[in-house]
Amino acid sequence: MLNVVMPRLDPAMQSGKIVEWLKREGDRVEKDEPIVRIEGEKTTFEVNSPGVGVLRKLLFEAGADVQVGQALALVGEPNEPLPPETAELETPRLSLAQEAPAVLGATRVQEPPASPVARKMAREAGIDVSKIKGSGPGGRIVREDVQKAIEQTKGRVEPVAVLAQVRTVPVARTIKLSGKRKATAERLSYGFHTAVPVTITMETRTEAVLERRKEHHSKTGKEISVTAYVVKAAAKALEDHPLLNSSLEGEELRVYGDINVAVAINTPDGLVAPVIPKTNMKSVLEISREIRDLTERAMQNKLSVSDLTGGTFTVTNLGGYGVDLFAPVINPPQCAILGYGRTSEKPVVIEKEVRVAAMTTLSLVFDHRIVDGVPAAQFLQRVKELLEDPTKLD
Amino acid sequence: MRELTYADALREALREEMLRDPRVVLMGEEIGVFEGVYKVTRGLLKEFGPERVRDTPISEAAIAGAAIGAALAGLKPVAEIMYMDFVPICLDQIATQAAKMHFMSGGKLKVPMVLRTQYSLGRAHGSQHSQFFPSWFFQVPGLKVVLPSTPHDAKGLLKAAIRDGNPVVFIESGMLYRTKGPVPEDDYVIPLGQCDVKRKGNDLTVVAVSRLVNEALAAAVKLEQQGLTVEVIDPRTIQPLDLTTILQSVKKTGRLMVASDDVKSGGIGSEIAAAVIEEAFDSLDAPIVRVASPNMPIPFSPALEQAYMPNAERIVEAAKKLIG
Repeated sequence: MLNVVMPRLDPAMQSGKIVEWLKREGDRVEKDEPIVRIEGEKTTFEVNSPGVGVLRKLLFEAGADVQVGQALALVGEPNEPLPPETAELETPRLSLAQEAPAVLGATRVQEPPASPVARKMAREAGIDVSKIKGSGPGGRIVREDVQKAIEQTKGRVEPVAVLAQVRTVPVARTIKLSGKRKATAERLSYGFHTAVPVTITMETRTEAVLERRKEHHSKTGKEISVTAYVVKAAAKALEDHPLLNSSLEGEELRVYGDINVAVAINTPDGLVAPVIPKTNMKSVLEISREIRDLTERAMQNKLSVSDLTGGTFTVTNLGGYGVDLFAPVINPPQCAILGYGRTSEKPVVIEKEVRVAAMTTLSLVFDHRIVDGVPAAQFLQRVKELLEDPTKLD
Repeated sequence: MRELTYADALREALREEMLRDPRVVLMGEEIGVFEGVYKVTRGLLKEFGPERVRDTPISEAAIAGAAIGAALAGLKPVAEIMYMDFVPICLDQIATQAAKMHFMSGGKLKVPMVLRTQYSLGRAHGSQHSQFFPSWFFQVPGLKVVLPSTPHDAKGLLKAAIRDGNPVVFIESGMLYRTKGPVPEDDYVIPLGQCDVKRKGNDLTVVAVSRLVNEALAAAVKLEQQGLTVEVIDPRTIQPLDLTTILQSVKKTGRLMVASDDVKSGGIGSEIAAAVIEEAFDSLDAPIVRVASPNMPIPFSPALEQAYMPNAERIVEAAKKLIG
């Protein structure tokens, strides 16, 4: 008998709500066939069957809130006797503190046999060991199998949305906080884990960006969003100012190896911030395309956990709603968020003459525990520079 | 380099140590006039006289007791128990007296003695003259346990054991006495607690003990013909045990086999397997296997004894099963 269990989709998840059962008791199910739809904190997702068989028992009604790791249903042979106390099935013990890998549908019992070193390598490479075919005695997954799997993933382009695969960000370096930084942090925050947000703003001329958008439109007939330019500028500026691409975890500052900018998107169900992985490696055009895709899926509530995790910095925009200047809230555990307001024509003094120019106000809210005002200002200055000369974004 | 038999290498070690240090004395059954059943003490009575090479009555308890007393009084006795099967007769002397004196006296007393013995598995000597139970000794804190597998190691390790200053149980293999190998003529000592990597390989680590080192090397040759390279490690002493070298090898190969002549339950294999799991669990790519004797008294019939004993063939089979 196989247990279908409530998976943990991110380290903080404790329980999930059953939205609906996609199969009924007695239905035949294939391996990896969706059985139940679950609503987590961030997204809804489907849990798949851990194996081939008959869905023997549903252990909860739709609407029930079920703890992570608890069995949701049993899949087995048609005549296999049900365990006497199905409610007390042993569930995998996942401690909350642990960064548990996402467990989809299966308890440890029916995982394929894998050697300790194979498990370790798979864990480190972020590969689901149950997806690997074993070549060792008795089908055991051995080191060589994982090596092959790792090589295969290297050559493959990561699909945009993989259900329930939490994206992990490589840590480029870990800096032990100096006594001074620690003292600053303690002084600045009541609770050590609470950000100390500070806002700085800067006006930027937006004509050049608007000009390039127009050019692109007349050439291709396609729109590039202003957000894409701002996102790209932020990602590029983060390359020069990596401290803003970090999180404070306990007494360690984790400076991330990837720059993954999240974009705040307003949906009927509330605000979401899906992530554009490795933003700095992508062109404005690619970023624009990805934002469009993420927005569409956000509106249909189809964002995966992968889309919503691993962000290292956030860009948000209220310009479309007539807001000129605002101080957004930092998206934890990130260090900073960049907001930008409405682009409007204003009288500005350029070379001692009053002229009319398209102006946008950028606002950077940063966690003062991590960065001080001057480096934050330098970062913002760099964003402004890039937006005023978007050829630098190519 | 000149070649010596294992027995002659041991003899040379005894002789050199007796020349080097007048406190070194030998005692045991038939070691003087008869020159030892395996001729390890050949010529020594003639050279050093009956004061230093003593034939004893057939009483293992007396041999061990006298040796401990002599050691406490300032000599460095090397006592021989003809068959390992009879060591239990003096186990109280060894485990409860010799091993503990140094600790119980707060370091004031020292028992610098060597208890030489041999196990005859493979010689059709029957259930009561073939046993090998090294774990009885490595379980006793205060004893060192040495198991040489080659003439070279036999000489260097016996010299180290004699110079050690602690009670050392030195277990030889009756099957190895006539094996030959290169032995340097100079005065060399092999420190206790150092593995020797007898052969390099990448696919499997075989920790082989005493008689089975040669079997493991023969198995490695066969496996190499089938495309598997085996690293053969001889721990040489199992107390102290050089776990570091074993772990390094397991981290490289991901697979471990322990081959030893003792019975499987609670043996050398059990101990090394447990230590490796504790220290290198995440490096293992396969279960650890033990090639050892079955949990049965050793049969007398030569044919049955051959079926009972671990050998190269069994190591090959187990390796193939392990790698798949």
